[in-house]
Amino acid sequence: MARIGLFVCRCGRNIAGTVDVAEVAGILAEHPGVVHAEEYTYMCSDPGQLKVAQTIADQHLTGVVVAACSPQLHERTFRIACEKGGLNPYMCEMANIREHCSWVHPEEPATTEKAIELTRVAVEKVKHSRPLTPIRIPVNRRVLVIGAGIAGIQVALDAARGGYDVVLVEREAYVGGHMAQLSATFPEMERSRFLLRPKLAQLLSHDNVWLLTNSEVVELTGFVGNFKATIKTRPSTDAEAGLDLADEVFPRGVERQRQESTVEVEVGAVVPAIGYDVYPLESIPEYGSGSIPNVLTSLQFEQLLRTSEGGELRRPSDGAVPREVVFIQCVRSRDREHGMPYCSRICCMYTAKQAMLYKQRVPDGQAYVFYIDIRAQGKDDEEFIRRAAEQYGVLYLRGRVSRIFPQDGKVVVWGADTLSGMNVEIPADAVVLALAMTPAHGALDVARLLGVGADDHGFLTEAHPKLRPVETSTAGIFLAGACQAPRDIGSCVAHASGAASKVLELFSARHLEREPEIAHIDEGICAGCFDCREVCPSRAIEVKEIRDRRGELLDTVATVNDGLCQGCGLCVATCRSGAADLEGYTDSQLFSQIEALSSRWTSTTSAEKPGGGHGG
Amino acid sequence: MAGIGIFVCDCDGELSERIDLEVLGSRLQEHPDVVDVIPHPHLCSEAGLALIEESLAGKGLGAVLVAACAYDLYDVAFRPIMEKAELGPGQTVNLDLRVSSSRDENVKARTKHSVDRALALLDRLELPSDKLELVPEEADHGVVRRALVIGGGIGGIQAALDIANSGHEVVLVERQPSIGGHMIQLSETFPSLDCSQCILTPKMAEVGRHPKVRLLTTSEVTGLEGRLGRFTAKIERKPRYVLDSCTACGDCVDACPVLVCDQFNTGLRWRKAIFQPFPQAVPSIFALDDEHCLGLFPLACGKCEQVCEPGSIDYDMQPVTEEIEVGAVVVATGYEMYSYGDVSEYGYGKYDDVINGLQFERLLSASGPTMGKVMRPSDGREPKEVVFIQCVRSRNPERGKPYCSGICCMYTAKHAMLYKHRVPDGQAFVFYMDIRAGGKGYEEFVQRAMENDGVMYLRGRVSKVFEENGRIVVWGADTLVGKRIEIAADLVVLATAIVPNDGYESVAQVTDLAADEHGFFTATHGKADPVGGSVPGIYLVGCCQGPTDIPETVAQASGAAAKVCALFAAEPKRAVPEPMLAEA
Repeated sequence: MARIGLFVCRCGRNIAGTVDVAEVAGILAEHPGVVHAEEYTYMCSDPGQLKVAQTIADQHLTGVVVAACSPQLHERTFRIACEKGGLNPYMCEMANIREHCSWVHPEEPATTEKAIELTRVAVEKVKHSRPLTPIRIPVNRRVLVIGAGIAGIQVALDAARGGYDVVLVEREAYVGGHMAQLSATFPEMERSRFLLRPKLAQLLSHDNVWLLTNSEVVELTGFVGNFKATIKTRPSTDAEAGLDLADEVFPRGVERQRQESTVEVEVGAVVPAIGYDVYPLESIPEYGSGSIPNVLTSLQFEQLLRTSEGGELRRPSDGAVPREVVFIQCVRSRDREHGMPYCSRICCMYTAKQAMLYKQRVPDGQAYVFYIDIRAQGKDDEEFIRRAAEQYGVLYLRGRVSRIFPQDGKVVVWGADTLSGMNVEIPADAVVLALAMTPAHGALDVARLLGVGADDHGFLTEAHPKLRPVETSTAGIFLAGACQAPRDIGSCVAHASGAASKVLELFSARHLEREPEIAHIDEGICAGCFDCREVCPSRAIEVKEIRDRRGELLDTVATVNDGLCQGCGLCVATCRSGAADLEGYTDSQLFSQIEALSSRWTSTTSAEKPGGGHGG
Repeated sequence: MAGIGIFVCDCDGELSERIDLEVLGSRLQEHPDVVDVIPHPHLCSEAGLALIEESLAGKGLGAVLVAACAYDLYDVAFRPIMEKAELGPGQTVNLDLRVSSSRDENVKARTKHSVDRALALLDRLELPSDKLELVPEEADHGVVRRALVIGGGIGGIQAALDIANSGHEVVLVERQPSIGGHMIQLSETFPSLDCSQCILTPKMAEVGRHPKVRLLTTSEVTGLEGRLGRFTAKIERKPRYVLDSCTACGDCVDACPVLVCDQFNTGLRWRKAIFQPFPQAVPSIFALDDEHCLGLFPLACGKCEQVCEPGSIDYDMQPVTEEIEVGAVVVATGYEMYSYGDVSEYGYGKYDDVINGLQFERLLSASGPTMGKVMRPSDGREPKEVVFIQCVRSRNPERGKPYCSGICCMYTAKHAMLYKHRVPDGQAFVFYMDIRAGGKGYEEFVQRAMENDGVMYLRGRVSKVFEENGRIVVWGADTLVGKRIEIAADLVVLATAIVPNDGYESVAQVTDLAADEHGFFTATHGKADPVGGSVPGIYLVGCCQGPTDIPETVAQASGAAAKVCALFAAEPKRAVPEPMLAEA
């Protein structure tokens, strides 16, 4: 027999201002199963909490209902109070008579009636509640980082500094990603590799970091705290040894696999930091599809700038010093018709940097930049662009380029200057294209492998665009760097440290405690149809074989993985035999609530006093 | 007495290209405690390290400054040598010459900057009077595993939550009576148009009730001594005049006779002298504005005390200063809008219907002074033509700030879009210079404003704004068609520049953090260490280091938390990761 204690909160005037709290307590006191009902000014205050604990002990309560504010605010408070009184915390329910009632209705009898109803429904629910215990999941405190560009390196470094094991997997033979290919960084104008070197040196000095180049993650199973990854490593060739930045900073050199191998590692968290690629020049016919000599991609130009340091910059086709260079921005970015609708974010800045570095190498040369909008919104970026235009004499032309073609050893650029409204023709010695940043090739495969979302283009999707920029919808998997959206190096590093923070948070305890409100399948009832498996968005339904003592298969049933289930209840709605149920929201709890509500309507229409419904 | 030795690295000529190392050396040599300045072309080489080791042994140095490259490298290369020579964190410091040389254009300015930074760092060194008194460092290097977070906006809240969720104690200090910062004032956020309050209040509630977080509102940090791992912070807790027993019933507000301009609603509404800035305030305790209260001094009123049922009003409350030991500090002091009085050509402060972006946020907000109905402040009419002017005092080295304020393009697009949602028959015009929509989904968002909502974008500056027949006339130019434009508008919204929160000066003074000429704190390195402040152990989050939007602020906040947690990490594990199962 249920012995339920009811505590109605006045919340100062917050509730008592529009709800007759005494009537709520008085009417519910008569409700079947309720053995104690009282009102109090502030249930959440220390004396209020003490009342709950004391009454549980004195009255041998089997359930508690607190009619007060939103459970978001104080469910935890009262569950702890119940535990102190010796009652299972999940035998406590809250009726929200503040946000759902007193705050949104005027002072009139109907408001009190609604409060009574909300409370009665909660009482009915608690009658069908079962004691639950939080689920404890062990956490394997080792992180898998996919991609050893600047973002991956930063995640690995922060996690290693936090004292945890790191497995860093890089698809290429070299670490450093795109950053290792760049000349200098904006707006500091520092050599890119010089910035990478100390980071790499520190990373490799940690003996809890395991770096695997030439390697890819080919399979990932499991769930938060308990992933199992299969990593395949290609043999490395002699040509690859000694060229890597890692070899530069690590005197002993990096150990390389000589044969193909596959390893399985158990990790607690996974961070994809798989970076970006650029739009293929081959797919841009109006700019020659890569067939016009001296039409370079921005990454090719970075290479030219890097190798010409201290010397002269010469164009690749004939070794001549280019006297006129045209930079074209937004090539296939901000281009819904032919390319990518989004802005690639970094091109305005690196184009200004490239134009300045070009002018440093070829002081009497002329640099032109075709742009749509100049996007210089980072720290010191605006000043940097101003320097390019004013001190370096880079000529900015607002407009798109319609065509480029080779003529007499030159590359002729046809464009428009939308500010003067004139057509522009420039016979250039070289053209540099700021190609759109796209997701890294294979990004969608990685998304599928990890079970995280990706947008239409293939950028991995964060859990919330504003407030959860490094988390994904899958627990234990976090994002770092340009694989989530185009971003510059500084932003990648901050984003990567953000991802590392989530890893450190997850690893701060050996066990992960989860609320027990997840699905449960009664093996005795389950017919083994596995419809639930089809609908489960969390891949939480597993196959369980029931065998007898001789090992003979008796039955195959569905079972729920505690670590994966998010408690959405889809399996419950799907299950035809009624084997699936959701703890904390069981069918019997919900139906008793619905019944309590509908009986009230019946009683009101028959002009009975509210609250006279039958007990569950 | 042992003095300070200074080692200066040239990084193979990389640094002398940028800084006059000889001037640097001779300036530092003038410091009274410095006994020797030792230059070397490549300190992190074998020869360089050997030189340091020899000098430490031979000259009996009591403290050391290494002027070289990034802090990262210092940890790897130099710290072991220092530890071997029994020099603790208080006796060694690293000056990152790359950082101090990355901002300025010419050698002279860079050199001066570096000298200034070095002198400031020298003052932080604890020089032992006798080397024998040196206490060996504790096994855990004496790191206090408690963090101080300054500022309770979204940056501070996120940093505090991440650190606390990793099991470390956090003291979160906020000047205002509630946490929430500017984000809680916003209506909806771009590009998802999520209600700002709806997504922020759960985080505020979480930080407010987190067992590891100590929340100190109406408080300021007035002192900070010490070093990475062990700081002593002085925190002044200003009187709130309302005790924690306050139940936020609001009876006092009804009783209070004093009307005050409501800053939370950007001056668009009145509040009482006793108040709660907004209903979801955390902590949910009222505060008394002592500037305007009549009851405090002299005892003339006292009405709120009479009606307060729990007896929570205490007019005699005094400021209290507390000293708290912390191991790391996160600075998240945020921004404010450019002070408007002198934006005279746009009529701000002169015409009621010329407002700034933050005020328009409050007009759009469902919890704002108009409950989300767009009305013009002068007469409450629904404006049918609204002009939004971007880059007001941003990108304007002559009359304002040379930098771009980073977020205005996007919030203006959002403003225009939300205005059109509320007033479908109205017309929104946006004057812009460049549309800066460089974030995930941002470009698409601006396109939507133009195409789906019919917002008219005009590329050009506005020259003059004046009142005529009850309307605000805007004179501008459309540089794309090369024509002058005149718009008679009902409301003009200015996207004024973002400047550091006025508290930055006291924070800069207290923490010794380097700031640029605008007052934004300078990160150790914009690329390599974007959240590290110029003082080891102090980290920067959000707009205090430059205009930053919400997602970037949140990422930085978590980034700073990672640095703090790594610093606090107990018993670093040394095991090499072993594959579970390996096959050839």
